[in-house]
Amino acid sequence: MVAFNQKYQRFFTLVSRLVIGGVLLVAGGLKAFVPAEAAGAVAAYKILPTQIAHIVGYALPWFEIAIGLLLIIGISVRMTSILAGAIMVLFIVAIASVWTRGILIDCGCFGGGGSIDPSKAAQVHRSYALEIARDLGLALLALYLYFFPYGFLSLDKSPPPNEEM
Amino acid sequence: MSKAAKATTGGDHFTRWLVIGMVAIVVLTGVVFSMMSSSTKANESFAALKGYTMGEAVSATINPAAGSGLTLNPGAPVTIDLWEDPQCPVCRIFETSIGAYIDTQIRTKKATVVYHVLSFLGPESVRAANAMMCAADEGHYLDYHKSLYIVQPALENSGFFSNENLIKIGETIGIKSESFSECVTKGSKLDLVKTHADSMQGYKVQGTPTVFINGKLWERKVSGFDLNEFRLAVEAG
Repeated sequence: MVAFNQKYQRFFTLVSRLVIGGVLLVAGGLKAFVPAEAAGAVAAYKILPTQIAHIVGYALPWFEIAIGLLLIIGISVRMTSILAGAIMVLFIVAIASVWTRGILIDCGCFGGGGSIDPSKAAQVHRSYALEIARDLGLALLALYLYFFPYGFLSLDKSPPPNEEM
Repeated sequence: MSKAAKATTGGDHFTRWLVIGMVAIVVLTGVVFSMMSSSTKANESFAALKGYTMGEAVSATINPAAGSGLTLNPGAPVTIDLWEDPQCPVCRIFETSIGAYIDTQIRTKKATVVYHVLSFLGPESVRAANAMMCAADEGHYLDYHKSLYIVQPALENSGFFSNENLIKIGETIGIKSESFSECVTKGSKLDLVKTHADSMQGYKVQGTPTVFINGKLWERKVSGFDLNEFRLAVEAG
């Protein structure tokens, strides 16, 4: 297992970077140009006071874009992976929170968002589970990048010789 | 791990701050851009109201016996009770399909219409409901009600139904009085808004829009809102 990872690590790191970076870039890009919707989508979680939720709604898509770009290009991968992992954990907590409070919303993960017709409860609960699973997967990839930040096609310089992991 | 931590803290400070700075710049410019484009969008919404001509003033009375609903044209042979939330997208569809017919019924004195303004979709519904009741005091509930649905944002609580914008909507269609803007800013009707919200349970209303014709729940046979189906139901009483 360790040997296998050692052999392909630089490739795994590249793939992880592209997957998390790509998802963040798409998710951010789809929301960044419909700011009012993004603001409303954050407000729909009813976690933050409306005013603050709106500011988060304006900022979050751009934050996702910035982190996504850094991961894809490969700058300071270890630090960006911490940030990417942190937002994934935040998303998981937010979805779990609406789920336990019985609020029915569209997560607004890739644009859209807002309340949903009560008759679709079962469907919404299933999508909550899928969203949490997806974000958990991405968080695990981010964790991998934290431990193995150096891969192919990256602007990060290779580790100094004393830093063999 | 400890070796790695040393490698990142020692000598790599410059890159770290560079990265933090870049992220901060992207986020800041993005937020400024988003706020600007969102206010342009708001102005576009107001543009949709340009040229709107208000109908004659219709006075609204409050009927405590009917959940304190705003009663327009009392005493007609048919009574229609409407339960709506200003932010509810389906109410908007109802308004586009059937709103004009209901307006005519009121203005030609053929039906009594009782509006129950609900506000369960969040703080912006509460503000909008308050403004609607303020407009009712000015005799322009119908016009204001229609205008709110014309400009209704795609998503609830996105910041559009601020008191400032609610006053501006009134001004755009021609409700320019001091009393209206004061009523909106002060939230003078918030008690009534709450009374409407609380009356929901007594009538077993669970969603919006809900329609009663002469006290009987209107149950649609077709999906969507069909004007003919509604008209026949009203005529049957």
